[in-house]
Amino acid sequence: MVRLIRSSLARIFLALMVFVALTPILWTILGAFKRLKDIVTPVPKLFFSPTLENFVTILQNPSIRQGLGHSVIVVGASVIIGALLGVPAAYSLARHVRTLKGDLQFFVLSLRFMPPVAIAIPFIVLYLDLGLYDTLAGLILVYLVTTISTVIWLSVPAFERVPKEIEEAAAMEGCGPGEIFLKFSLPIAMPSLFGALVFTFVLVWNELLLALTLAAGNATLPVVAASITSLGKEVPWGVINASTVILVIPPLVFIGLLMSFINGMMKPARR
Amino acid sequence: MNNRRFLFWTLTPGFAVLAILALISIAGALYFSVMDRSLRYPDYHFAGLYNYQRLLSDRRFLNALQISATWEIVTVVGSLVVATLLSVLIFETVKSFWIRNLICFAFLAPVLLPRVAAAFIWRFLYSPSLGLINYLVGLTGLGPVEFLADPSLALMSVAIVDIWQWGLFFTVIMLKLLETLPRDPIEAAQLDNARTWEIHAFVTLPMLKAPIISLALVKAVESLRSFDLIYVMTGGGPGTATETLDLYAYQAGINLGGRISYASAMSILLLVLTTIVFTLIWRGIRKWSV
Repeated sequence: MVRLIRSSLARIFLALMVFVALTPILWTILGAFKRLKDIVTPVPKLFFSPTLENFVTILQNPSIRQGLGHSVIVVGASVIIGALLGVPAAYSLARHVRTLKGDLQFFVLSLRFMPPVAIAIPFIVLYLDLGLYDTLAGLILVYLVTTISTVIWLSVPAFERVPKEIEEAAAMEGCGPGEIFLKFSLPIAMPSLFGALVFTFVLVWNELLLALTLAAGNATLPVVAASITSLGKEVPWGVINASTVILVIPPLVFIGLLMSFINGMMKPARR
Repeated sequence: MNNRRFLFWTLTPGFAVLAILALISIAGALYFSVMDRSLRYPDYHFAGLYNYQRLLSDRRFLNALQISATWEIVTVVGSLVVATLLSVLIFETVKSFWIRNLICFAFLAPVLLPRVAAAFIWRFLYSPSLGLINYLVGLTGLGPVEFLADPSLALMSVAIVDIWQWGLFFTVIMLKLLETLPRDPIEAAQLDNARTWEIHAFVTLPMLKAPIISLALVKAVESLRSFDLIYVMTGGGPGTATETLDLYAYQAGINLGGRISYASAMSILLLVLTTIVFTLIWRGIRKWSV
């Protein structure tokens, strides 16, 4: 009996935690379809006549449209360049480097210790002198630190899991190292590599500080969203909710992928 | 020879870009930290250690240092405690594969949100006049609580958002780790009539010591990047109650007249401090976990 009560209490508690995890997000989505008079009520409203006004306001707002465009360009370019430079480096690190491997990996990880402000401030001055301040190219260049290092860090284990026998067999057939990499290792490791790229994408898509300091004139979406609070006199909560929803959609699309990525990362431990 | 060329062309470009960018920012920050450069004036001179000396007697800096330390401890410990308790709870009570997966999906959603979005979502919830949380607080008869405007609550209120994102994410990872453990030691403990919490406290969690420590390290590194969340939610306020080091460096270097040199000195100190602390922790862990 005590057991039964305890387990049902545990279940209620877990249901509550799922509620805590999801309600804030769902509530914001709901708020995005509300008129301001439905938001500013003493008792929160669950039922109301939905409106698309907020999304119309947002999509007609030129700075948000530009922000979306800038985000796509900056994030796309930095992730693609990061992949082109990072994936081959990760492969060589996983397969060909012996003595320096630990040191190189620690170097890559230690870049993550660097406070973003410490990166931003010298680059402000440098970019002002070079004329790169407020340009997307400058922002992409700085984002490469994040993308290359994250891609390398996450791809090394992906390549280590490629069966060595396949590569050895290919080498026996007379394939060069480049050919082995492109024809065998890369396709086999592709599913895990894709997860690594998605993770990298989410990191730079969400980035605020560097975008705010280095390219406020060509703002990316997080910067635009962060500045909406001061739009007009009263706080436009409906509009803020709608822009939050737009900001959230791209990363949330990848939730299933993140799940399978975690599952894949855990697998070798089972052996 | 072909092999060496392959190695060279795959490794050099990526690592060269990383090394150059890292070198530029560290060397740049070091250089400016001993100058008196400000964005307001074009010329600047050598100032020696003046900026560092001023920092040590700057009460706002010392305040920021203390808040950063509190932030680190609260978010790291909070996330791990939440993750440990919830993952054990799920592991013990939910046996169905599908329900477990559904819970995992729900718990993964918050961490994927951009920090700016998470900050807005919770500002909306915390709002004293129209927030959902204050409505619930109001039902219990207490007046509206100024979660973000009350200096004694603001930092904790922001930390809860961070734990909401990372604690639930770590719960999923810990659950997966628990699932990979071999069953035999757990069954042996069950035969010895150990209680459920005893099994986890003395058998399973000690077996997961190494991965839990690396989770703590990952969280500690991620917690250093608290800027986005705090900037949108409180902007460092009320007063300086939530002003961490990166927020103060941003305010000094970019917002308030661009005291580049002063902010550089601050970020160098921050860099040195985190490097020392993390190296010490890293070494301590390796000694301890062997």
